[in-house]
Amino acid sequence: MKLNQVLGNRTIAIVVAVSALIILFPLGYSVVGVAFSPPRPFLEKPDEKHENCVRDTSYMRFHHMDLLKELREEAVREGKGGEISVNSCRECHTSRKQFCNQCHNAVNLYVDCFGCHYYPLEDER
Amino acid sequence: MEVKFQTIEGKSVQFYLVLLVFALLILPGAFSTYLMYYQGLHLSGMTNRIPWGLQIILAVFYIGLSAGSLVISSLYGIFGKIEYKPFARIAVYLATLLLIGALLSILTDLGRLDRLSMSFSYFNFLSMLSINPFLYNMYILICIVYLWAMLKEKDRFVKIMALIAVIWAILVHSGTGAIFGFVPRELYQSALLPPSFISAALSSGTALMILVILALFRFTERPLDHRLVVRLGRLLAVFIFVVIYFIFVENAYRLYMPESREAARFFLFDPVNAAIFWGGLITIGSIIPAVVLLNPRTGGSIPWIIFSAVLVVFGVLCERYLIVIPGLAHPTDLLPGMEIADSVIDEGIVYYSASIHEVFQALAVVGMIGFLFVLGLRLLKLLPTEAKIYE
Amino acid sequence: MDRRDFVKAGGVLLAGTTCAYGLPLLSAYSLSTPSPEGSSGKRKWGMVIDVRNCSEGCNACSEACHKEHNITSRGEKDWDIHLIRRVTVKRKYPAGAAAIAEPLSVPLLCNHCDDPPCVQACPVQATFKRDDGIVLVDHHRCIGCRYCMIACPYNARHFNFKENEEWANKNYTRSTHGVPQSCNFCAARIRKWRKRVEEDPEVLKREPEPVPACVEACEKQALASGKKKALTFGNLNDPDSDVSKLIADNPARGIREDLGTKPKVFYIGL
Repeated sequence: MKLNQVLGNRTIAIVVAVSALIILFPLGYSVVGVAFSPPRPFLEKPDEKHENCVRDTSYMRFHHMDLLKELREEAVREGKGGEISVNSCRECHTSRKQFCNQCHNAVNLYVDCFGCHYYPLEDER
Repeated sequence: MEVKFQTIEGKSVQFYLVLLVFALLILPGAFSTYLMYYQGLHLSGMTNRIPWGLQIILAVFYIGLSAGSLVISSLYGIFGKIEYKPFARIAVYLATLLLIGALLSILTDLGRLDRLSMSFSYFNFLSMLSINPFLYNMYILICIVYLWAMLKEKDRFVKIMALIAVIWAILVHSGTGAIFGFVPRELYQSALLPPSFISAALSSGTALMILVILALFRFTERPLDHRLVVRLGRLLAVFIFVVIYFIFVENAYRLYMPESREAARFFLFDPVNAAIFWGGLITIGSIIPAVVLLNPRTGGSIPWIIFSAVLVVFGVLCERYLIVIPGLAHPTDLLPGMEIADSVIDEGIVYYSASIHEVFQALAVVGMIGFLFVLGLRLLKLLPTEAKIYE
Repeated sequence: MDRRDFVKAGGVLLAGTTCAYGLPLLSAYSLSTPSPEGSSGKRKWGMVIDVRNCSEGCNACSEACHKEHNITSRGEKDWDIHLIRRVTVKRKYPAGAAAIAEPLSVPLLCNHCDDPPCVQACPVQATFKRDDGIVLVDHHRCIGCRYCMIACPYNARHFNFKENEEWANKNYTRSTHGVPQSCNFCAARIRKWRKRVEEDPEVLKREPEPVPACVEACEKQALASGKKKALTFGNLNDPDSDVSKLIADNPARGIREDLGTKPKVFYIGL
């Protein structure tokens, strides 16, 4: 079909409109949802075995995955380091439910780490 | 001398029925893949000794079929035989779909499918399994461009793309053969696997195209000059002999070399392998079809040609099984001169049988290829109005 | 077809061939990744196994390894993972000797070859070789294609067909299903040992070398039964290490060295 015919065809216009509605609905819903009630995850104060966290809070909130990836490459592929790891977070933040899952469940971002790395949901003491 | 192409009408009950059947075939396999993704590959028949199974056998089978289909289109694109132009578009479209099916077979076989992006971000120049997906993806692109050039009737471009496609197909198939040939296992390592793979690809692809052409022209009631099919049948006979030659040389070499003699004996005379090799590949897959195709009485008769083509496709499927499984079933001789009397795992010869989930996955890929092929006939101008030899 | 088309097509052919096959021909291409020691490769870890000291019926190394790596043993021959396994071996021929020879007990594990076919085979370089000689699987990158298992001539790599169930060793990871595992010479223990040595060089006197779980278990078993241990681990580059002395003083060889893989596990008494 020629382009004019496509643009003018009513059936095609309806199909495109309905598909766009279906595809964009989740996005719109979440935008509206965030605008009216953004998720506010609450991280419990940790058990302070160390004075400070490895980096400051705002860095960790946005860049903890970059830090972990860097340390991981060092530890696995170069055999260095290892003081800071997924395991060492556990020394202060003892429960995954109160820590990682708070934000990750709120934004529905799957974390692949804990299939292999040990991090209990509840505080095990 | 103009060959006109058109889509099929696609309004009949049979058309929708065929589409439905293919779509239904996909469902059990999709479910099996979902199960295996979450529960692990123990649902398949694969073990620590035989880590590759039905999915990989079929993947290399489809890759082979893809090359052969492309050969038919190159008869027009490169050798300029105008009488094969009617088949060219179907051939290229089928080749593309078969390779997509092969990739799907491989993908559903991965242990961690969620890590698929890794194979694009990281590359290992020395790994055939890294080079090959690159070759496969480029091959699909080349075939799509080739098909597009044919649909738009850009004749000069078609000829260029035909050459590129055939050359790339040779690379793809040599690469696929090298996946197995360039690995240090007694029944794998072989410099002959790449060319042997190409030859089996050519024979199986030609056979498949014969069957597809006959079926299509019969079901859509288009006139087909049977002499064209007879010529393809003779071409198929030539390819069968090339396959036999490579198989013979490879096995003769393995029997001659003391280091691989025991493994070669396992390959040829172990009950399961013997049945598949001598029964499936040699007798059913090569000797009977060759005799039928070369005999002047039967070589010109369409039912006999259909019979041979089916046997050849079956024979090459057996050959793909023989490429993948015996090399894994036979253990490496870790301690020559000694035998392992006892171990926690199976150190001797093991056998493989596919589980129902793998069969479902295989059917799903067949369903997907069939569905897309029939849909393509409806949406694209692939079928010619007629196919005849112009005198 | 005119000359221009031919040149175009020929150019594509040349480019394609070079891209696909030229690179593997660069035989000097190395897939090593940097190690803590840098590329001078000060340390090269290896193992010596004295088969004469290994006894049938003892599976201490295997059990310790499973416990360390959180591997579930279900007794299923097809799917169980054995990073180290003990096999009983008998002479096959000549007939006279085979009739009277005593069976040998041989531990088999990943040989951490210096020219590993598995590293060459991995499409994403998830299986890689460090300069300190260890061949590792990076489970963060592995896609589970199992080509490394196909390429390994020693059948040393096993696949996680099922989820592992127990998590006995909470200081270590427990692999999910879908990835292969192979002996990594307890790289985590080596890393922790290196850190201890770096912080306090005095540690070297007490622990001259790191000890993988299997070697530790073999030593314990040997002490308990009053025999000598079979497994020794150490630095192959150091002439003073136990492994170097054992290899120098005894006829030691790796398994199927003729394959050209240059294995770094040496057997005495085979």
